[in-house]
Parts: sequence; structure tokens; C-alpha cells
Amino acid sequence: MRAAFFMAALASIISVALICVFLLYQGLPTIFEIGPFKFLMGRLWRPTAQHSEPTFGILPMILGSIYVTGGAIALGVPIGLLTAVFMARVCPKPVYRFLKPAVNLMAGVPSVIYGFFGMMFLAPMIFDLFGERFDMVSGSTMLAASVLLGIMILPTVISIAETNIRAVPQELYEGAVALGASHERAVFKVVLPAARSGVMAAIVLGVGRAIGETMAVRMVAGNQTAMRMPYEFLKGVRTMTTNIVMEMNYVEYGSLHEGALIATGVVLFVFILLINLLFSTLNKGREKP
Amino acid sequence: MKKTLAVLIIAVLMLSLVSACSSDSQSPAGDPTPNGSSTPAKRDEPVSEPVSEPVPESAPVSDFDSGRVIGVHTREDGSGTRDAFVSITGVGDDMYEEAVVLGSTNEILSAVGANEYAVGYISVGSLNNTVKALSIDGVLPSNATVKDGSYAIQRPFLICMSEEKLADPLVNDFISFMLSAQGQAQIGSSWTMIDESAPDYVSSGLTGALRVGGSTSVEPLMQKMREAYLALNGGVTIDISSTGSGDGINGATAGEYDIGMSSRELREAELESLTPVSIALDGVAVIVNTANPLEELTITQVKDIFTGEITRWSAVG
Repeated sequence: MRAAFFMAALASIISVALICVFLLYQGLPTIFEIGPFKFLMGRLWRPTAQHSEPTFGILPMILGSIYVTGGAIALGVPIGLLTAVFMARVCPKPVYRFLKPAVNLMAGVPSVIYGFFGMMFLAPMIFDLFGERFDMVSGSTMLAASVLLGIMILPTVISIAETNIRAVPQELYEGAVALGASHERAVFKVVLPAARSGVMAAIVLGVGRAIGETMAVRMVAGNQTAMRMPYEFLKGVRTMTTNIVMEMNYVEYGSLHEGALIATGVVLFVFILLINLLFSTLNKGREKP
Repeated sequence: MKKTLAVLIIAVLMLSLVSACSSDSQSPAGDPTPNGSSTPAKRDEPVSEPVSEPVPESAPVSDFDSGRVIGVHTREDGSGTRDAFVSITGVGDDMYEEAVVLGSTNEILSAVGANEYAVGYISVGSLNNTVKALSIDGVLPSNATVKDGSYAIQRPFLICMSEEKLADPLVNDFISFMLSAQGQAQIGSSWTMIDESAPDYVSSGLTGALRVGGSTSVEPLMQKMREAYLALNGGVTIDISSTGSGDGINGATAGEYDIGMSSRELREAELESLTPVSIALDGVAVIVNTANPLEELTITQVKDIFTGEITRWSAVG
């Protein structure tokens, strides 16, 4: 029986190790062939240029991923945290019985459905609102992707933050109230700070969810490879994930283009590793007190 | 206390639902208005100049603002449709960097269908009435104009085989079927035949299995070819996967597919290991929203739009 458990545990480790090896084995040579600086800091992505030298700069995509994720955090985290506080500390039982499954359901909705919602409703709405005033090409923009991702990370943020807020000892709250704090003051000044590391973990996991999302982003982000500044949120961006998924189908076998897409995966993988590292350090910090 | 809170929350939820609905009805309301206001415009026009507007569709929708920015939509790098489009129109490597990039024909169709100021390009075989195809240099895309070459933006549908697979009798038999009168008849009205006087195909009674894969544009035609071929050759099975031209070419090179489908020309490196055969022709139509009064572009204007030289509809009439 123990052997069976061991095998099961081994399977997941082996698959992660294989992915690591595959990515680095396939991706690193390409990065060095293009040149790490040219690849990471290059501003032009023209992989199939016929009449000039093809260029493989993924800086616009790295920034795209960061912008879109940042936007999602800016929109999703305040709403998510307030919802978590509401669910853990304010919400009456009957509402909670309805709210909790609703949040869980939100986590289960496939990302392509979110994508459809964004494509059919969100992007056209943004285009109607701002299209004429700001000379927009389409409603598929950084803003649309950020709003959509902000919605998509809500269940992750809410459920983890709620668990952590609930884990704060009731004595802290009662002590605050006994000292004369109002309910709101006790929750926001005592309970929430006590759950800080858990709340940070919720945000970090939200970041992980946002940066790795592909399908929904592809449908609403516009996918332009142009360099963007953060204030150009009414223009389209391409993220690292969408860059890989959009061009993988048509890529020429064994070409530098294919290698560059895998190398984009390596960069994305490094980002995710960093986020997970951050998450585990935050978790460690929570175990100490 | 708890009850009043619950009631309050429910009230807020309902309010947000109502406001969501009203904003929902607002955005479609923005759409019907042009249609509504276009009806009186149509009614007016026959009175003032009854002869000059023979086609009711071309009556300009009063709401279309030609001062608006052109919403350029393009396919992703490496797509067969994009490959053909940029090389024929002369856009080349200089695709407009603000152009929205979408990953499939259907995405282009729905994006252009939803955006009054959009322009895009798709295979002629995928055209439907949610969008409007433009004449290029005065020629509307159709089978006849693609076949006689007067419609300039067109490409071949290719199948490609490695040398080893070309020696396989079953592969050969299927290819000869696709190029025969019965095979070419499957092309129907969606695409354009390459040979109208092709020889008849006679079943050679072979059995076996074929794996075909590649271009999503060629796949619908391949499905029809497959059905017709299987009707004549009961002992054969054919698996078709539609995964994109690149994958079709890779798969044919690696031996994963017996026949690869591609909607772009093979590159030099790929020609070393594969032999391409053209089975049909396909036009690439430039499409705009049905609300757009524009009917025609020159190929230079198409190039200027897709390279970003022209950014407003007013510049093309």
C-alpha cells in the first residue's frame, strides 16, 4: 500500500521534473542563439519576417503579462478582500449559504466561458464607451483583459482570504470589541492585520492565476505585439501565454520561431516559480507566530 | 437585525441585477438606433434620387462615422491565410502594429461582425452574411473570379507528403481521387477547382488506414473528400485532425501524418523533405461590418490600411 502512495507522489514530481527538463533543454539553446539580452529586452516580435531579419524580442509580452496581471490585482484584490471580510465576519447565515456556493461556482466556470463573456459583452461595452473619444481600434484592450482577469481571480482571492480571516482567533476580535472598538474597526484594525500573511498568500495565488491565464485573455486582449506603456490601457497587449498559444499551431517545425515560443514558456515558467517561491515564504512566515 | 441585513443585501443584489440588465439593454440599444434611423433615410432616398440607389444595401447607414479609426484585424504570425494575404497585397513584414491579432477565422468573423469600424480578412469559403466582403480593384471575390485570376488575393490549398509516403499505393490512390473529376466535384461552391476537366477516378479496391492532418482552412474540404472517397472504397479508414498548417507540415515531415494539409506555400527548408500538391484554390476576402457603406477598395488601399498608412475610413471614401 505504501508503495502505491509513493508511486502516486512520484508521478507528480516526475512530471514537473520532466516539464522543467523539456523547457530548459528546448528553450535555453534558443535563448542563447538569439542572445539573452536581445530576447528579453527586444522590442520587436517579427518571427516570420520574409524580407528582413526575423526578430524575436519578447519585452512587449513580458510587460503585457505584468500590466494585465497588475490591472487584475488592482481590480480583483480590493473586491475579493472585502468579500472575504464580509463572508467571514459580517454575512448572516442565510446569505452565506447562498454566497459560498456562488463563489465556488465562479471558480469552476471554464476560462473559455469567461472569454466569451469578455468578447461578447465587456470588449464591445468598452468600445462603445471610449471608442470614439480615444480613437480605439477595438474594444479588445488591456483594460478588458484586466477587468476580466480581475473577475477570474476573485474566487481564488476570496476563498483563501476567507479561510485565513476565519483562522484568526476569536479572542482577538472579542478583545478589540471589549476595548470599545466598533465591529468594523475590530475587523479592519485587528482581525485583518492578524491574517496579513494569509491575505498576502491569497494575493500571490491570484497573481499566479492571472499571469498563467491564456484562453480568456487571448479572446479580449487584442494581442498586438507593440510596446505599451501602463497608461495605454485602452490599447491591446499580448501576454506571454497568448503569444505561445496563438503561434504554436502554425509554427515551422524546428525553426527558431518554434524555439522562441518555447523560450517564452521558459520565461513564463521562471515567473511562476518566483511567484510560488514568494507564496511559500509567505506561508512560512505564517507558521512562525 | 439579521433579517433586516438579509433584506438589505437582497435588495442590493437585485438592484445590481437590474442595473446590469439596463446597461445590457443599453448597449444593444446603441445598435438598433442606427437601424431605426436608417429606415427613414432609406425612405427618403428613393424620393430624392430614385435611380441612383438601385441596391438597398448600399444605402449609407446614417450612423456610420467615416472620421472614426479603422479597426484593423489580422491573423496571427504563421497563419496560412495571413501568409497569403500579406504576400499578395504587399503588406509583407510591415503589418500595422495596432492591428488586433486573432487566432482563427471564426474569431475574425465575430470581431468584425460586432465592430462597425472593423476590417479583416478570411477565406472566401468561410464568408457568411454577418459581414460584408469588399471588391478588390473592382472585382468581388467569388469562385469565378478566383478561378480566372481576376480576383487577386488567392492561394492554393496544398497537401504535402514525404517521399516515403508518396510511394505508398493507398496515399497515391487518395491523391489521384482528390485530383479526379469526382474529387474535384467535392469542392462545390465554397472553394475553386483547379481542374474542371479532370479524369474520372476508378476505385482500385485498396484497403488500409490513412492519417491526414493540418490546416484548419483545408479541413472542411478534406472532410468532404474523405466522405466521397470512403463511399467508393469501403475498406479504407481516414482520420483527419485539424491543427493548423504548421502542424500539418511538421506531422507530414515526422511521419505522424500520411498526408499533411497546408493553406500556405511551403518554405524552402520544408520543400526538401515534402512534395506539395495543390488540390483547390481559395480566395482571401477582405471583410467589413455590414453597417459600413464602403463597397470597394483598391489593392493599394488594402495595403495602406493593413500597414497603418491609412488609419481613418474617411481616407478611403
